[in-house]
Amino acid sequence: MIDADEKSRKTAPIVPAHSVTGRTLMTLIAIMTFLSCMTFGGVVLVQKSAIAWSADVGREVTIQVLPVEGELMDANLRLAETIAEATPGVGDAQALTIEESEALIKPWIGEGLDLTELNIPRLVIVELSDPINADLDRLAEELKAVPGASLDTHAAWREQLNTMAGTIVVTGLLILALIIIATVLAVIFATRGTMASNREIVDVLHFIGASNRFIAGEFQGRFLMIGLRGGMVGGAGALLFFLTAGLVTSSLLPDSSNAQLGILFGRFSLGIDGIIGLLLIVPVIAGLTAITSRMAVRRFLAQIS
Amino acid sequence: MIEFDNVGLRYGDGPEILRDLSFSIAPGSFHFLTGPSGAGKTSLLRLLLLSLRPTRGRISMFDEDVTHLRRDRLLAMRRHIGIVFQEFRLLDHLTTFENVALPLRVLGQTEAHYRANVEELLDWVGLGDRMDAHPPVLSGGEKQRAAIARAVIGRPEILLADEPTGNVDPDLAERLVHLFAELNRMGTTIIIATHELHMLDKFDYPRLLLSDGRLTVDD
Repeated sequence: MIDADEKSRKTAPIVPAHSVTGRTLMTLIAIMTFLSCMTFGGVVLVQKSAIAWSADVGREVTIQVLPVEGELMDANLRLAETIAEATPGVGDAQALTIEESEALIKPWIGEGLDLTELNIPRLVIVELSDPINADLDRLAEELKAVPGASLDTHAAWREQLNTMAGTIVVTGLLILALIIIATVLAVIFATRGTMASNREIVDVLHFIGASNRFIAGEFQGRFLMIGLRGGMVGGAGALLFFLTAGLVTSSLLPDSSNAQLGILFGRFSLGIDGIIGLLLIVPVIAGLTAITSRMAVRRFLAQIS
Repeated sequence: MIEFDNVGLRYGDGPEILRDLSFSIAPGSFHFLTGPSGAGKTSLLRLLLLSLRPTRGRISMFDEDVTHLRRDRLLAMRRHIGIVFQEFRLLDHLTTFENVALPLRVLGQTEAHYRANVEELLDWVGLGDRMDAHPPVLSGGEKQRAAIARAVIGRPEILLADEPTGNVDPDLAERLVHLFAELNRMGTTIIIATHELHMLDKFDYPRLLLSDGRLTVDD
């Protein structure tokens, strides 16, 4: 039977918790994790938006029909629609009415003008049922039969969008790498400081025959806990930020604004894969802290042995 | 058990601290290591503790040449050697019990496995009622006895002590030497570094005399 004294006795850790510059390092790791998660989340959002926008734009092409003297615009629009609908991979082709065309340019030239005097170009919106296999080269070729008609596949826009999104993703990954390097350096400095301030413990352990591996393990355990706690605080902060921002954009803005924002910038949602990626940053940072501190401790011990 | 053959030691490019040391220590013997301050007693103890390598000569311990031994083997060998420091070097955040148990903890033993042994040893050195006290509240004598208990808990074959009576009153100093003598009777080889002449006069053990880096044995 265990008596009360034995029950209450708990073996103290060889490296005391307060001796590792824990609070400062934990705060630093929490900030670094938060920044890493924000960068990662930003990269995910940009990439998802770019893919979604590119897919949206890619499902549609536009035929522009310019007014040509002596030609009947309505007849040309009808012909363009017919040619488009006969093209493989096209689902539907619909010419915009004169009112719809005027509504499109009104924001650019202002209210109160009589647009009937202007010979404005007309558009045929062509929806692709099979964007990958749609024969757009054939459509462009056949549209030559329609005076003033030209095909806009938005390829230049899509290319520019992909380039921009790619640049942002690469920049984000670069920032992520720099944050991780900064974290590693901070952990190395903190470890060296901790080892120097615990030199007496290290010496005593050496004198009683403890191996460097044993001593490193004692210190690494402390740093792993600090890394995990800091990582969880930073990760939770970032997750909270993304969830709150997602809720704010979807609930506070009117539906129409929200829809426009969604079309322009994508939804403010990481998705389940984004959240899993974000949560994975926490153990990665904690593991990195533990491995870095272990290497720094082993190096310190090798130097003093 | 310990064999020094023409051993010399210098720190960096400095002068030789220890010169031409040649002597042997038999198993189960008891020696005082003495000499004036700065004679090199602590350096010799560090050579015996395998925390320094000689710059020349050959040291053999436990029938093995340790002069150029690999570090992991040195650490394993160090577990056969106990050390008591003048300044105790107990860890303040650990209790007396935990300090004494430290060498066993380092070996991977669990508390359930070593608790009875540690408690028995603490009783033997008169610290049975101070097990849960931390070093800052222990007296000098209690700290020294705790340090001795820590040094012998792993049943070392050699026990080294660097001025173990330097920080305690004469009565306690004598009791501590009796404690070492008791350990010696149980088979442990003891080497105590001291410069206290009254202690040397009181106990008739062979002396290793260090002077100006050279050693003579006075049996």
